[in-house]
Amino acid sequence: MEKNTSHIDKLKQHIHIKSNDLDLYLKALNSAYSGIIITDNMQHDNPIIYCNTAFETITGYSHNEIIGHNCRFLQTQDRSQPERQIIKDSISRGEECKVEIRNYRKDGTLFWNELFISPVKNEEGKVTHFIGVQNDITARKKAEHDLREEKSHVEQKIQERTKELQDKEIFLSSIIETVRESLLVLDANYVVLSANKHFLNSFKVSSEETVGKPLFELGKKQWNINSLKELLTQILPTNNPVIDYEVDNLFPHIGRKVMLLNAYRIEFEGHYKDRILIAIEDITEKKEQDRRKDDFLSIASHELKTPLTTIKGLVQILQRMSADHPNPKFVNTLDKMSSYVDRLNLLITKLLDTSKIQSGNIELHMEPFDIDKTIRDAIDNIKLAVPGYEICLSGTTGAIVEGDELQIIQVVNNLLSNAIKYSPDSDKVDVGIHKVANFVKISVRDYGMGINYQDRLKIFERFYRASHIQKKFPGLGIGLYVSHEIIANHKGTLWVESEPGEGSTFNFTLPIINNDDNHGA
Amino acid sequence: MERKTIMICDDDKGILEMLELFLELEGFNVICEINSTNLITQLNTHKPDLLLLDLWMPLLSGDQVLKIIRGTAEIEHLPVIVLSASVDGNVIAKELGANGFIAKPFDLDDITSGITTILSN
Repeated sequence: MEKNTSHIDKLKQHIHIKSNDLDLYLKALNSAYSGIIITDNMQHDNPIIYCNTAFETITGYSHNEIIGHNCRFLQTQDRSQPERQIIKDSISRGEECKVEIRNYRKDGTLFWNELFISPVKNEEGKVTHFIGVQNDITARKKAEHDLREEKSHVEQKIQERTKELQDKEIFLSSIIETVRESLLVLDANYVVLSANKHFLNSFKVSSEETVGKPLFELGKKQWNINSLKELLTQILPTNNPVIDYEVDNLFPHIGRKVMLLNAYRIEFEGHYKDRILIAIEDITEKKEQDRRKDDFLSIASHELKTPLTTIKGLVQILQRMSADHPNPKFVNTLDKMSSYVDRLNLLITKLLDTSKIQSGNIELHMEPFDIDKTIRDAIDNIKLAVPGYEICLSGTTGAIVEGDELQIIQVVNNLLSNAIKYSPDSDKVDVGIHKVANFVKISVRDYGMGINYQDRLKIFERFYRASHIQKKFPGLGIGLYVSHEIIANHKGTLWVESEPGEGSTFNFTLPIINNDDNHGA
Repeated sequence: MERKTIMICDDDKGILEMLELFLELEGFNVICEINSTNLITQLNTHKPDLLLLDLWMPLLSGDQVLKIIRGTAEIEHLPVIVLSASVDGNVIAKELGANGFIAKPFDLDDITSGITTILSN
């Protein structure tokens, strides 16, 4: 009996220990972060017979609401997930499996369940239970999803950007290919890196005989011009572009052409620097048109001058015949005729001057002359023409200037006649001649209407006429242009200082011949 | 004073007539030639004291005529004044050994003074 008691005690003790262990295990299960369930595979539909606290927390269902359900109740209506088949197959085969499946909490919200199912087998190897371990991986899934989204977004962006770049490149290259100008890109050693279609077409060359070759060796070395070389070698170190350089050459395949060349340094940060872009424009046709126009003007003016010579002569003969004519009206009429003939002549001369200057054809007959005397004589001549006017000359230089005296006289005449023409309410013009460093400076000051800023910028342009004087004072807008060009051809400058209402001063300078040269000559 | 003979060669009839009228009034004998190809013969025939010569003429231009004159023994020293409306006329005249140049359109005073200066030398 005692023995029995002790056996029962032992058993009790054993049970007590076991029950203590069980308690501990349950506590452990309940403190797990993962949801854990046990299903009974021996019962119909494999119902849940145990769930831990974490499972309640994850699903939002209480213990009582869970026990007895098959696990699928967590998928509610979301039945078409392929993971369900995986679970089903594993269970029927009594194997373990791991899936990520969409489950729904009691409140209907979705959570991603990382489910691990493991079978429990009895001694005969029959599956009696399944243990399910679940983790709420919604956050991770979301992060993954976001990452995927972000990645696809970035990919899309990259695609868009690439497309954009491609479009731009197509756009740019189509411009480069269609532009009516020949374009070349050179590297720092003047080797051609690329040539556009227009270049190849206009020079009738192939890409093979152009790209990869040094510019100066292209064709029959037509670009091998010392002055051009010098300019091009300056581009990279100084960043000074070559602007409007004319190449008049006999080109292979296309014959004699005049090309206008512009060159710039180009740099594309991070990709390359020190490249040269050369743009070449064929201006042969334009030059030819200019020449024809000049020829036309020159012939036209010659042809106009021929009958004018006769008219002028005849008028002068009549004037001579009428020297003692008693009728002043007759004499007066002849004088008027004469002055209009002169005016017509002046207009024709000016037109011709412009056309010659435009084409750079004006010939300078450079000879040393006494500038003081030239200016004095020019003023005396004008005084004869406008007797009522006071033209005061001040200063002398004693300088000898080398130039085309007739052209300088033309400039002085232009400036003086402008000074008189645009000072209708004044009868005085001051002319100054002074020595300034190595230059003679001649100033023509009037007390007329003056010139505003906008007009001052443009009055030396060909055919420019200030709008407000157009009707009041007829003219072609050539005089100042021609004067400006003449002075520039003499290596001097012509400029104006003026304010509206305060009159204008036109100044020009001419270089003085070096005394030593003069004596030496 | 002996009347001097001036020959004028210009392809423009108006200029010829005008100059003829003027120079006759001034007391010169005037011979006009509109066709420059006849000029050398005319010069040899009439032996004028001075020639007023246009530059731009068809068939035979003034500068060609001038070259022939300067290369023909009987008339090589003939005083020639070139009359021209072209801007570079004075340069051509100088190069080819003309004695004077007067730009068209001219003052008649320049014609008389040009002629007198040359004839008095």
